[in-house]
Amino acid sequence: MSDVETKTSEGLSRRDFLRLMGAAGTGLAFAPFIPFGDFMPNPNQASLEKVPVILPDGSHANINTYEINSAQVITYPSTGDAALDAEAFRKWQFIRLPEELGGGKTDTTSIRAYSMICLHLWCLWKYWPEDGRKRGECPCHGSMYDPLTGTAFVGPASVQAAPSNTLPELTLEINSDGFIFILPPKFDANSNGVIGYGRFT
Amino acid sequence: MAVSLSRRTGIVALLYWIWDGVDRTIFTAIKFSFPARFVSPFGFLGMLTFTVFIILGVTGALLMFYYQPILDRAWDSVEFINDEVPFGFHIRNIHYHGSNAMVLLAVLHMYYQYFSGRYKIRNEILWMTGVILGVVTILEAFTGYDVIFSERAELAISIAASLTTSIPIVGPTIRDAALGSGFSDFVLRFYAQHVFLLPIVMLGLMAVHFPRFLVFDVPMVMAIGGAILITGGVFPIDMGFKFEPTVPPGVTVPEWYLTGIYAFMRTQYDKFVTGLLWPLVFIISLVLIPFLDRYKKFSWRDRPMVTAFGITSLAQIMVTTYWGFYISPDVSIPLVERLVIDPLFFYGTMILLVPLGFGFTYMMIKLANEAERKSKLVKNTGPQKVATINLSEKWINWLLVALLAFQVFLNIAAYNAALTGMKNISLFLIGIILLVFAAFFHIYRYAMSQQKNAPPPAPVRIVEDLPELSESEVVPEITVDSTSETPKLSDDSTSEEKPKELAPTVPTSATKAELDVGNNNSNLGSQDLTKP
Repeated sequence: MSDVETKTSEGLSRRDFLRLMGAAGTGLAFAPFIPFGDFMPNPNQASLEKVPVILPDGSHANINTYEINSAQVITYPSTGDAALDAEAFRKWQFIRLPEELGGGKTDTTSIRAYSMICLHLWCLWKYWPEDGRKRGECPCHGSMYDPLTGTAFVGPASVQAAPSNTLPELTLEINSDGFIFILPPKFDANSNGVIGYGRFT
Repeated sequence: MAVSLSRRTGIVALLYWIWDGVDRTIFTAIKFSFPARFVSPFGFLGMLTFTVFIILGVTGALLMFYYQPILDRAWDSVEFINDEVPFGFHIRNIHYHGSNAMVLLAVLHMYYQYFSGRYKIRNEILWMTGVILGVVTILEAFTGYDVIFSERAELAISIAASLTTSIPIVGPTIRDAALGSGFSDFVLRFYAQHVFLLPIVMLGLMAVHFPRFLVFDVPMVMAIGGAILITGGVFPIDMGFKFEPTVPPGVTVPEWYLTGIYAFMRTQYDKFVTGLLWPLVFIISLVLIPFLDRYKKFSWRDRPMVTAFGITSLAQIMVTTYWGFYISPDVSIPLVERLVIDPLFFYGTMILLVPLGFGFTYMMIKLANEAERKSKLVKNTGPQKVATINLSEKWINWLLVALLAFQVFLNIAAYNAALTGMKNISLFLIGIILLVFAAFFHIYRYAMSQQKNAPPPAPVRIVEDLPELSESEVVPEITVDSTSETPKLSDDSTSEEKPKELAPTVPTSATKAELDVGNNNSNLGSQDLTKP
């Protein structure tokens, strides 16, 4: 290939053409590995369906027997594998509201199920039924959650911009005998919320 | 006697052959020197950090034989190591306290290099990789104390994962990819990063970070090892409470190297800014310091602005580290009030530390200059007085024997303590053994260097109780490199001037290995470090 030839050629020089082919070949050779990045995030195996609310003692929660102004930890979605069920991301505070917030009623407005993962730095908060508290409190940095709405009103979680100031929530249903069920949730910020991230109210 | 010690058997010849073969490999690019005298440990803090890294690698590999990185088993497996496995307590404590020692040594190493201006003149790459290496070291220590999965570890993992999520735009993706989507993922992936990914990154960075001259000071290495074991014996690390997902954990603080960041987060400003952005700004300014420092000189006294910023940063690190630890013990006040640090007070203090740091630096420079002026005056007027301990050969020998006997006693005591279940006493005693060895080795090398520079025998017969030390054959055999050694040693004591002219030495070494120092003067490394 002489210099004269290269200069006079109208279109792509042979050298540039080869470079282009080389780049395309290299690109195509490695392109199939791009989707391999999906290896890293853990796929969620549990299928989400309507399930009964099972209390820690193994019984099915009933609105007629569940104590007013109290809270217990429930596991959702439960897999049956002890190691996976010990996962804090599957833990929810199942709260029967106090009397003054409407906890005396026997419909779904008297109960709540919020993710236990605090929206600030992911410690596990819990509901305190004592007089003068009656709120969710996080042991790490003192965020406090309103049991009625799941929105933080004090502490670092309360100063975070929406949706990161409101806890993810499970939708509950009560049948004619008073037994409580969890409806299949949709874990995105506009519906049930994203665990550890938040929910738009 | 000397003859029988230096005779070469087949095995020894093979070892020498291997040592000389190493000359063809990359390892001889690094010049190790084993100082023959006491040298200041500040010059080789990096080497000490690396030694602790090796200790951590060995103990960590042993812990891997029993540890199970599974959500509901991690804590129990560590408890098993701690309580049931023979010497598991020892290994775990050495690993834990070694990690603290490594972080501390790395920080000290960095600040020594900072104040002495070593990052200048083509050392910029060493400095920058060093800062990154320090950050990775802290990440390594952090992932290490998280994999126990106690209550405190759970809080630390939560904070790490949620801080990652808080990075604008890419945060949730990074978290999903690097840490997984729940605590069972976090434990396993923190473990994978702790035992493989981060150490590999550290080794890679070390390959760049290692300077070509290294000082391996045996007594100081032994003393650091002893200090780690003694700390483990006196303050054995506890198990913490096992994390139960249904029981919210109590109030805890992170490890000491992270309480500074924790204090910032407790001001309740945005978690991304306080937990990630401020540390990042600090790290980036450290990385860039070689390019910001325009002074032509090296000493901290000649670089007032750089020194003042260094002092200020040190003061801020110390204040925030303490502040992060402090939580009011009064449980009658609500948790929020106990935990939240008033941002105005906090940032006000940080800003106040700047003029204080500058003032302190100004004072120190004044004092140092004054002290130098005075010492020059003294030097000009009177003789220089240096306190020395002079022991005769006989007493050195007895001292070595006594130290050996003490070590035998300590060995029995330590093993007995381990047998009877007094694990921390045993750990403490092993630490003492290492310290005794440090002293032993120091005296040993002192005796060897005395031997090297011993005056030639007088024409008349001298002492008869220790004939082997005064034999004339010994002198040329060992003093192979004393041609370069003698002038340096001679400024220590005037009595050692004599051998220079009385016993001119002949270099007779067959191999470099014979000197166990490479082909160099034994003080080459340290000398090189003190060069500007």
